[in-house]
Amino acid sequence: MPPIIDDSKCTGCGVCAEHCPQDVFFGSEIKKTPVIAFPEECWHCYACVLDCPVPEAIRLRTPVPMMLSYR
Amino acid sequence: MEIEHIKADVLCVGGGIGGLMAAIRASELGAKAVVAEKGNALHSGKGGGGCDHYLSYIPEIHGPDMDAFIEEMLQTQQRHNFEGLGMNRIRVHIAKTFDIVKMWESWGIPMKYRGEYHYAGHAFPGGFRCLMKYEGRNQKPILTKKALEKGVEIVNRVMVFDLVSDGNKVYGAIGLNTRDEKIVVFEAKSVILGTGGISRLYPSPTPGWFNNIATRLSLTGDGRAMAYRAGAELQNMEMRIQHAGPKYYARFGQATWIGVFRDPQDRPIGPFVTKPERLYGDITPEVNKNIFLEYAQAGKGPVYMDGRGMSQEDLDYMMYWLPHEGNTPLIEHMKADGIDYLKHPVEFMTYDQGSGGRIVTNEEGETSINGLYAVGDELANGVSNASVFGWISGENATLYAKGANIPDGKEIQDLIDEKKGLLEKIRGQKNGPDWKEVNVALQQIMSDYSGALRTEALLDTGLFHLKRLKQKALESIIAGNQHELGRSIEVLNMIDIGELVFICSKERKETRGLHIRRDYPLTNPRLNNKVHIIKEVDHRPVTEWRPTQK
Repeated sequence: MPPIIDDSKCTGCGVCAEHCPQDVFFGSEIKKTPVIAFPEECWHCYACVLDCPVPEAIRLRTPVPMMLSYR
Repeated sequence: MEIEHIKADVLCVGGGIGGLMAAIRASELGAKAVVAEKGNALHSGKGGGGCDHYLSYIPEIHGPDMDAFIEEMLQTQQRHNFEGLGMNRIRVHIAKTFDIVKMWESWGIPMKYRGEYHYAGHAFPGGFRCLMKYEGRNQKPILTKKALEKGVEIVNRVMVFDLVSDGNKVYGAIGLNTRDEKIVVFEAKSVILGTGGISRLYPSPTPGWFNNIATRLSLTGDGRAMAYRAGAELQNMEMRIQHAGPKYYARFGQATWIGVFRDPQDRPIGPFVTKPERLYGDITPEVNKNIFLEYAQAGKGPVYMDGRGMSQEDLDYMMYWLPHEGNTPLIEHMKADGIDYLKHPVEFMTYDQGSGGRIVTNEEGETSINGLYAVGDELANGVSNASVFGWISGENATLYAKGANIPDGKEIQDLIDEKKGLLEKIRGQKNGPDWKEVNVALQQIMSDYSGALRTEALLDTGLFHLKRLKQKALESIIAGNQHELGRSIEVLNMIDIGELVFICSKERKETRGLHIRRDYPLTNPRLNNKVHIIKEVDHRPVTEWRPTQK
């Protein structure tokens, strides 16, 4: 559900917080690791992961209720 | 809260595909166009994650008879998108699609696959293929860039929630900043509502969750709610819509999957395909979106999308398009959990999408209020529709704005004071329910009393209960910051829409589609070519039946 940020890679550029349509990172400040203020409002659109300029600084975890059912 | 004023000739509410296209057209025709977007236009709206199919007609591909194309298209799920709009509107739309395709291509949205226009999916074997495959993953950043190049002003993080209108003409709108403690008053000669559909009125596949939906949790029917309060007409608010997709990962893209829908004994559930066909998919759920639910209820499920037997090339093709359809996170989940689609059929389910109503507009895109237009899902579903009518409405709103002016009325100031009072009251409330609690309550009422089964007694009971919820929400909903204030206003908007669903459901004394009245099981043929209108007159809802536009 929530985005997971790797503190050691994040540069605090603010792109994820600026681009998130749901404002999951509400209250984040530039030059600091973004705050994940509303994790349950993440829709997994992937904007933050795709637009982040640093590889693997941010990723999404699939919430367990959303695991695909298959056989 | 301080008040900021922004002037515009054309105000586009919502920076989705419809709003951006309208603003681009208005701006290139010389209007001062402003887009107010409650998120960020780069990725907002139903098309924000992408899309991989564009309804379009190319005479060189489909032949010179456009009506034959339309007839074929109306046998697919497109019939829901165009229901009650009339053939003239459909022809205007379809005739314009190729122009938009060429325009988008010139702006950098890849509309060709391997150098050619390529049609696949959402199709019956042997029939026309009406949906062009295109690489839409970056459509929103590209349209946003184009809008800025054309001089459009984009105001992000401002949620417009009410119109300034005298009931006859629109003069602007009022919004709240979802980050800073500010109210934004737009003085606009014309307003285009491109605010999307309504996604959180009925429960999602995951109880109590709002984010597990095929659309987005920020699409809350704000446009239709504010249009109604301003006196505009809405239509068919009682009609329900459903969608189908992978079980537990609610997403669009059903037709991007290649395979055959099969029951647990591996029997195809539909008559259309018996092996994976990349050009068609399996169109069975477009004939009946409820089919997965029906199979489950009849003890015949689960139903799986079964890609076994497909070639690696077909799988690569499907995996090429799924990200453009906004399904990258789904693919990542499959990779992470080791789900190999060549070996493992994936279960599908029916999602409840909520109310399928729309704002009444004419062929110019104008609502029943002068200067107020509606595009995108407030008019009809789909990227093709949003782009075509965004463009047309942008043109017409610009023409309208040339002859319009904004009065300095006391009524406008009164409305601003009233809305400021409401926002400050909510921010000041303590110890009440937050937006999520109210939303859960709303969903359970909608699902239990105006959901799959409806009767007069259920509808009366549910409406009474909903009015109590509304009163309680207005008196006590809490919001600790501007973001939560926006979410609270969204829920209040959805409660308004919920009330209209109940009222219209009571008035439609027949069973039609997913509107199932147990006390009126017949489908009344006298209502076949009618639309059900609701509007507010003297603060009361008034309904009427009107012939569908030609």
